[in-house]
Amino acid sequence: MTKAIFFFIACLLLTLPFVFNAGEISLSNQLLITTPFLLILGIPHGAIDNVLYLRNNAIKNSHFIGVYLVFVGLNVALWLVLPSIAYILFLLLSAYHFGQSQFSHYFNKQPLSHQALYFFWGIGILSALLYLNIEEVHNIMNQHPEFATFRPLHQEKDMLLLFLSSNFISVALMLYLGYKKYLKVETIFMELVVVSLILICFYLLPLLIGFSLYFIILHSYKVLKEEYIFLISEKEVKSFLKFLAMVAPFTLLSVFGIAFLFALIYFELLSLSYGYCLLIVISSITLPHVFVMNKFYALVFSKKANQAAI
Amino acid sequence: MNLLEVLTIPKDDAIAFTFFTGYMAMLAASIFFFFERGRVDGKWKLSLLISGLITFIAAVHYYYMRDYYLATGENPTVLRYIDWTLTVPLMCVEFYLLTKAAGAKASLLWKLIIASVWMLVAGYIGEAFNPEGGDTGHSVMWGVLSTLGYIYILYTAWFGEVAQLAEASNSAVVKRGVRTLAWFVLVGWAIYPIGYMCMPGGWLNTAFGWGSENVDLFYNIADAINKIGFGLVVYNIAITSTESAKTA
Repeated sequence: MTKAIFFFIACLLLTLPFVFNAGEISLSNQLLITTPFLLILGIPHGAIDNVLYLRNNAIKNSHFIGVYLVFVGLNVALWLVLPSIAYILFLLLSAYHFGQSQFSHYFNKQPLSHQALYFFWGIGILSALLYLNIEEVHNIMNQHPEFATFRPLHQEKDMLLLFLSSNFISVALMLYLGYKKYLKVETIFMELVVVSLILICFYLLPLLIGFSLYFIILHSYKVLKEEYIFLISEKEVKSFLKFLAMVAPFTLLSVFGIAFLFALIYFELLSLSYGYCLLIVISSITLPHVFVMNKFYALVFSKKANQAAI
Repeated sequence: MNLLEVLTIPKDDAIAFTFFTGYMAMLAASIFFFFERGRVDGKWKLSLLISGLITFIAAVHYYYMRDYYLATGENPTVLRYIDWTLTVPLMCVEFYLLTKAAGAKASLLWKLIIASVWMLVAGYIGEAFNPEGGDTGHSVMWGVLSTLGYIYILYTAWFGEVAQLAEASNSAVVKRGVRTLAWFVLVGWAIYPIGYMCMPGGWLNTAFGWGSENVDLFYNIADAINKIGFGLVVYNIAITSTESAKTA
């Protein structure tokens, strides 16, 4: 068990009774509860993409940021022209990224079988989130006209099929990797427990609270810890405070950026709902982040492989 | 005549069935641990005695609980918690004994016992003093307080003192044994809250209509898995260690 898994179990056990006691929680209240945690712990894990990428690539920081912004711009354009494609792309990339961070500490290389596991594990989790909260998802789509475009992508039967098939494939891949000695039997058991807990979390908790609990603890906290350990080992940072100072600028920039966009919406200078705007922003940050993290994990794996060889 | 009436088990009563099988399984496990105690090295004898005591104390309580249940059809809450108040701290003693060779101090034992008693007392108040018809606020508050004790034990078993001592023990058998016991705490002990949430006012009772009779069904299943399973893990460590010492 990793500490992230332990924190997840502890938080889930302590959150469940309170949420149950609170009764139905509206989407806006869910946003109010989860946003501070997402800002404090969610955004920072992607706030040092430039530092991580520059560790192993001969490129200037300004060039990196320039390319990063081009990706962000292209993604925003895709959302404006083909929102359904942008939405699917966002989900697929997120799925791969979630799976990669979930299994990163077990591996020191990532052949196709490992990457397939990342992908199907992530699809399994995201389809579970949508299927197990299908009523809430449909309500959001009914209430906000921008989301109505995605309604055909969220038919209950299709979601169930996707949920069952992707989870079945991811379990089969875990067993295959166990057979190939990439994963220990205990590891497979632990991952099955984790998947079960995530599904329970998504089923019992409201959409945003359930997802935030998973995202903040099992994903962001774990990735932040990996980044910190890597930068310490590379002597890029010497203390946790220095790490915080490194993470702070782009975290604050993102927070102020989101606040600025929300202000535009508030003063009716931007005709979007807050939720839809947030989705575009998160998706636009995610797109380059997934590529950077893929490179980062490749670097971490090669380092682990070199150490194992020594 | 009276005895025959007490021993009548309805065919479709899964709870009565698990009370009877639980009683026999606990008793059989006790006899097994007590007899096998003679086959292991001296340093493991106390561990097996504790394993036998855990299942024996449970067997005696199950003997009374099954009759209580058949006679009244009610949850034998008080008997249940008396059983746990004795057996759960003994499980913590098992953790202590396993890691003692690696330097575990008595303070570890006391911390685990305090956490387990905290967990049980809060659970008892939540369950035994639940108002007629159930009160969600009451069961939630005491459930959360009880969970804090569980989380502490879970942390200690996986990352804290117990895990660190097992790692430092230089014994693959102890490491594997402690890890297996930690799995029991993670998965096996997690069955108890499911039972707790079936009581009137509990989540599963309110949201899914799972009746309060299911409290005992889950508790009986959990007890069988945890008490006998816990003992078997300790037995496995003891016998493996004894045999490897003989061949060395």
